[in-house]
Amino acid sequence: MSNIKPIADLSYRNYDGPLKKPGSRWWVIAKNGIRIALKKMALWGLMFVSAWYYLVMLVVLFFVQQITSSNPAGAQAMKAFMERLVWPDQFLHGFSYAQLPMLIIALMLGAGSIANDNRANAMLVYLSKPCDKREYLFGKWIGIALPILVIMVVPTIIFYAYGALTFREYGFLKDAWLLPKMLVIIPIAAIFHASIVVGISSMFNQARNASATYAGIYFITNFFTLLMGGIWASSRGETPFPVKHLFYASIDGVLIGACKAIIGTKGSAPFGIQSQGGMSQVPAPAVVPILGVALLISVVFVLIAWRKIRAVEVIG
Amino acid sequence: MTAVGFVSYAGELSGMPPAEALRRAHEVLEYCGLGEARYRNVETYSTGMKQRIKLAQALVHGPKLLLLDEPTNGLDPRGREEMLDLVRSVSHGRGVNVIVSSHLLPDIERVCDRVIVVIKGKLRTAGTIKDLKKLAGQPADVELREPNVAFANMLMEKGLTVTPPKGNIYRVQSELPPEELLRVVQRTALESGAQVRGFETAVRTLEEVFLEALTA
Amino acid sequence: MIQIENASRWFGQVIGVNDVTHTIEPGVTALLGMNGAGKSTLLRLITGQIQPTTGSIKVFGNEPFANPEVYKRMGYCPEIDQFYEHKTGRQFVNYLARLAGMSAAEAKSRTDEVLHEVGMADRADKKLAGYSKGMRQRIKLAQAILHDPDIILLDEPLNGLDPVGRREFMSYLHTLAERGKTILVSSHILFEVEQMTKSIMLLHRGRLLAAGDVSLIREYIDKYPHRVRIETPQPREVAAKLIQLPYVLKVEFDEWRGGIELQTRELNQFFAFLPTLTTEENFTITGFSSPDNNLESIFHYLIE
Repeated sequence: MSNIKPIADLSYRNYDGPLKKPGSRWWVIAKNGIRIALKKMALWGLMFVSAWYYLVMLVVLFFVQQITSSNPAGAQAMKAFMERLVWPDQFLHGFSYAQLPMLIIALMLGAGSIANDNRANAMLVYLSKPCDKREYLFGKWIGIALPILVIMVVPTIIFYAYGALTFREYGFLKDAWLLPKMLVIIPIAAIFHASIVVGISSMFNQARNASATYAGIYFITNFFTLLMGGIWASSRGETPFPVKHLFYASIDGVLIGACKAIIGTKGSAPFGIQSQGGMSQVPAPAVVPILGVALLISVVFVLIAWRKIRAVEVIG
Repeated sequence: MTAVGFVSYAGELSGMPPAEALRRAHEVLEYCGLGEARYRNVETYSTGMKQRIKLAQALVHGPKLLLLDEPTNGLDPRGREEMLDLVRSVSHGRGVNVIVSSHLLPDIERVCDRVIVVIKGKLRTAGTIKDLKKLAGQPADVELREPNVAFANMLMEKGLTVTPPKGNIYRVQSELPPEELLRVVQRTALESGAQVRGFETAVRTLEEVFLEALTA
Repeated sequence: MIQIENASRWFGQVIGVNDVTHTIEPGVTALLGMNGAGKSTLLRLITGQIQPTTGSIKVFGNEPFANPEVYKRMGYCPEIDQFYEHKTGRQFVNYLARLAGMSAAEAKSRTDEVLHEVGMADRADKKLAGYSKGMRQRIKLAQAILHDPDIILLDEPLNGLDPVGRREFMSYLHTLAERGKTILVSSHILFEVEQMTKSIMLLHRGRLLAAGDVSLIREYIDKYPHRVRIETPQPREVAAKLIQLPYVLKVEFDEWRGGIELQTRELNQFFAFLPTLTTEENFTITGFSSPDNNLESIFHYLIE
């Protein structure tokens, strides 16, 4: 009884509790990155924006359904509309119209990931822990790829479920592999964006410089694609060889081309609008080359990040 | 990030379970004197606080060896004192070994027990600070109110070795034990009209140790 | 000669310096204070980068603000550490020499001289990006003395220098001071300041708390009487003797180191009395000192 002192000793005491072995640090880093990103309100808004094509199509299809069931006169026109709709292309459009919001989301999640650590000289602190470069890089990478994956997959699955349940008679389930194919291309998109963002972030000291750079690359290559599309549209039917492949030589293009290749469609006009060819119908590139390009670019940027992450202190 | 967030993040990176990391982060921040500011954003911290939070994140996982590189860099005098006291209290009696790398030798004297002098990649001197500072023969540093030539001369006449003064301080060498030497010095001071303001066993400063190692 | 008269400067609602009056004479003066006390603001006022909101600053009788005549006689060695990293040290100093108005030939010879004086003559041809902190400090000093100014202002000049470099730098400053220049050094590292000079200016929250000679300032700190440590194997007996003196205010026993520590206001009288203990009354004393007669204690006492 008299051993217990009434006044506690609050001076420094050591920590002798459990310490996890290295190998699980990447999750700590990823969790931290995701938590920081989730605090940004704009992210939530952008999540909805990225699914806007699916949302619009849901509304359109819903009204089409209502009209066909209630008004037999308009039903004929609507039936024609429904026959014209190519289901795989709806997913293609959902995917491709999500790319710009996904770019912004990727930047919000990842532009500051390594750049901020560079600026605060925290790299020295983090890498001096039992956390090596591999875990650090993987953690940062997964902290971007995983949210992107989730944000893209959820609307896709919801739309698929709605379609599968409601439009079976319109040939929705004609291609049984549609959903698995989407579940292949979406992770590829996530890997692609995350790798590039991580690579670019490691090159800079400030998040906004990294953002500007990636956004710059995106828009400049997109402009190039538009140019190619214009050439294609003006020379209908005959596809000059370079156009068919260079059309996809942009950040957008690589992913959309890959999506087309995997789904196996050459694209059509969005919203079921009638059109005779045009930019949206450039044929898909071959599967292996386009996927190869996507993966190659991803690997290159990850290697850039690997080279750039060093535990050195910036003086001044 | 908030200070607690940062330190618990560092703790988790060291392998602590998340709950332990957070608990320990609070403890360590309190210990480092950042208790009041722990919910604030780290970016708003002053230099002194940033140095302390760096110390906190190094301590959070309870290391047995702490490596500090210029821990008082950029700190004002009060911050420097607090940081040195922190480092000293962590190391003594807590089972934590500390290696401090610094240019500021008085700081090292205050905090460390042993010192290693490395010059151009080679080890030149090593030992406990007390041993390194000892001067052969136990000379005494005598501080007068103002320099007094008669005082020095009279001491030399009595057979003692006296160096020319640095400021007001003379170094006196003799074989007498300290209390005897002190008596002699005070008597001589009275005779020569000087006032003795300090009498201490002379030691080498760590700076002198360093410079000697350099030229050796 | 720098004359500061009731100078104040504020930035919006934040006060930088508040009603500072002092004359800085030739020689080495140290500018001390906590972070945020106004040292940088004061330096900027003296170098003419900003104007005082009220009061005046005169350097050699003229106001330094936007006054090239004054700039010609001042050298500034700032704390910041940014240079043109792609240049070599020599190129950098040369460039600044040209900017100061020297001709190409003059600049070259002066650069060589100055690099030699700061001890960088053999190392000045590497790119600045690869320099250690000590080398950068020397280059900063080199560019400050290029035009042989009469006033040199240095902000944390010894930061990052190893003990050898520090000694060389300090002795160089002393040489400059002996040539009659006015040197103002701002520093946090009190033991270094102590070795450099006895004349200080202490700023606290914008106000000039103390200015002048260090020992004189100590005399005036009434709140904290002088402390004296006495090492003796007979602490109680010695203490009993000393307590009888009317000017001894407090005696403490140091159990850990053995010995006593006392406080007194009359240092002179005390040290005049002390010899009688050993010479006439045969007490054994092995040492004594004034532990708070240094800059660090003064700083502590004034700022707390």
